[in-house]
Amino acid sequence: MHKTSSASSLGPGGLDLSQAFFRPIHNAAPPSPTNRHTKITVVGAGNVGMAIAQTILTQDLVDEIALVDAKADMLRGEMLDLQHAAAFLPRTTILASSSDYAVTSGSDLIVVTAGARQVPGESRLNLLQRNVALFRGIIPALVKHSPDAILLVVSNPVDILTYVAWKISGFPSNRVIGSGTNLDSSRFRFLLADHLDVNAQDVQAYVVGEHGDSSVALWSSISVGGVPVLSFLERQQIPYEKEMLEKIHREVVDGAYEVISLKGYTSWAIGYSVASLARTLLRDQRSIHPVSVLARGFHGIDGGDVFLSLPAQLGRGGVVGVTNVHMTDEEVQRLKASAETLLELQSQLDI
Amino acid sequence: MHKAPSASSLGPGGLDLTQAFFKPIQNTAPPSPTKRHTKIAVVGVGNVGMAIAQTILTQDLADELALIDAKPDKLRGEMLDLQHAAAFLPRTKISASVDYSVAAGSDLCIVTAGARQIAGESRLNLLQRNVALFRIIVPALARHAPDSMLLIVSNPVDVLTYVAWKLSGFPSNRVVGAGTNLDSSRFRFLIADHLDVNAQDVQAYIVGEHGDSSVALWSSISVGGVPILSFLEKQQIAYEKETLEKIHKEVVDCAYEVISLKGYTSWAIGYSVASLARTLLRDQRRIHPVSVLARGFFGIEGGDVFLSLPAQLGRGGVMGVTNVHMTDEEAERLRGSARAILEVQGQLDLGI
Repeated sequence: MHKTSSASSLGPGGLDLSQAFFRPIHNAAPPSPTNRHTKITVVGAGNVGMAIAQTILTQDLVDEIALVDAKADMLRGEMLDLQHAAAFLPRTTILASSSDYAVTSGSDLIVVTAGARQVPGESRLNLLQRNVALFRGIIPALVKHSPDAILLVVSNPVDILTYVAWKISGFPSNRVIGSGTNLDSSRFRFLLADHLDVNAQDVQAYVVGEHGDSSVALWSSISVGGVPVLSFLERQQIPYEKEMLEKIHREVVDGAYEVISLKGYTSWAIGYSVASLARTLLRDQRSIHPVSVLARGFHGIDGGDVFLSLPAQLGRGGVVGVTNVHMTDEEVQRLKASAETLLELQSQLDI
Repeated sequence: MHKAPSASSLGPGGLDLTQAFFKPIQNTAPPSPTKRHTKIAVVGVGNVGMAIAQTILTQDLADELALIDAKPDKLRGEMLDLQHAAAFLPRTKISASVDYSVAAGSDLCIVTAGARQIAGESRLNLLQRNVALFRIIVPALARHAPDSMLLIVSNPVDVLTYVAWKLSGFPSNRVVGAGTNLDSSRFRFLIADHLDVNAQDVQAYIVGEHGDSSVALWSSISVGGVPILSFLEKQQIAYEKETLEKIHKEVVDCAYEVISLKGYTSWAIGYSVASLARTLLRDQRRIHPVSVLARGFFGIEGGDVFLSLPAQLGRGGVMGVTNVHMTDEEAERLRGSARAILEVQGQLDLGI
């Protein structure tokens, strides 16, 4: 089913070619039902949502994209702007509605970006209250129309909002994920790769924990082309200060704030990051991504249900499992502190 | 040669791993000079420029991308935002500067700089603001990338492509305007959506001015090889000429509609220009309706004017204009389009 988005002159009442142009062959039957039609919904057509939608479209990851946003005019403009590129892309159905969540039905993956934008200087945690109220309005409708979908939360503060989405949706924990530190880790890998003049995809490096100020850089498990970096430094007798490692980690955390202070927001990198997660989930790639998952029971995290980023194997069913990555005692401590920070904030919420 | 863009802690004075991490093999020589390193410069990092740059990056069309703009903070922010995606992309060198030397060695320079079209403003009204800007931009690009192709996107694109041609001193095959490549895509989308067929099976060109006087070449539209108008006649399906006019008007209005809804257009022009970039840099020899030096075609005389015609493009730029058949009426409208553009051009003081 398709709709002409803006033309009224092509169609009934105008120039109608549809009846005569193609002739069916004899004894044709309707198409067999197929499970391979993939559909993504992106909630929020702001800079982040549109960068995600456009990257997914360019990378030809799905058959259908539904866009949802409260601002009807802007939403329609964004939908048309994508549709107008039809001659340059594989055919993808693009739908949008600001009022009727039925456009989202049957989604395999729902990406939630809706929420207030982080203002320069504002910490992610300050956004929280505004976004919880928003989720109470959005999540139930999405669940109703796509009860089997995977929910991928991007809105900040992402760890707490992933927890909120999980509670409100009633979905099993493997089907609710936050984009978490997937992008922080990319920034980390970029800094290392740029310094070593090596391809970033050869740098294995995870930032885990809170997507925010208390995130944890897993220095003990960074490797380049299979060479673990810290033990390499020791063997080569290259001295390094712990403060230096802290500084590098700080630069990763500040990466987002820096972009926000320069261009007002971030969009492209998070677009690629989420498209990468979408590909792994929809194509059952079973890759490991540091994303926000239900972390209770891992690495001694026991104070309650909390979502934070751990290296998780993802596939068509969502979270397949969390990798049993080795952490030093100190890294575990920091991770638990990250969990406590989040749990404390969560306890102040009324869900 | 590379620079760490934001980290000061990785490198000399901080944690420096570079000397020890990799060991070279014996008897190496520096890399052979290779001509296959492709570089694209994008001037203007507004919504259009960044949609183009990001689409080019996602589609892995270049080894190097240089961003240029007058606003250093916005420029740096956009550069970092692309670089941070390094883990998700093939390795592409991304640089940015207010200094045009960053464009040195580019194979293709894409110019999007210019004032944004306000809802209701016709493209021709933007002109004066943008000519002054081009007097700064184009000579600088020509100096730093004398062998590049110039692809103009800023509006009004036909006049500004002419301006860029004059200011650069480049041969005419190396200066093209994005022209009606996108209008034609919108046209193909409307027809494809109506027929429920893939837009890539719809051949349909809009030519002439990228604007109100563009010309829809109805006589050469075909779907899966079936020419539409003669099909309608054979099927005895009646149609009004006014209906065709209305459909064409809807294509022209598409841009204004998007602008009035979201404030600007970006995604579609991004894909459109990335498609042109691919054809040019990968020598695809495809036909695109783009703004080229049209003097001498279809009876267009009266001066040097750029407007869109179906042109074959490749690594050397414009290879030629296809000898598409036009009805007398279509040719007359095209000449009308040329006259409209020439009239505006005549009022310009290029200061050359």
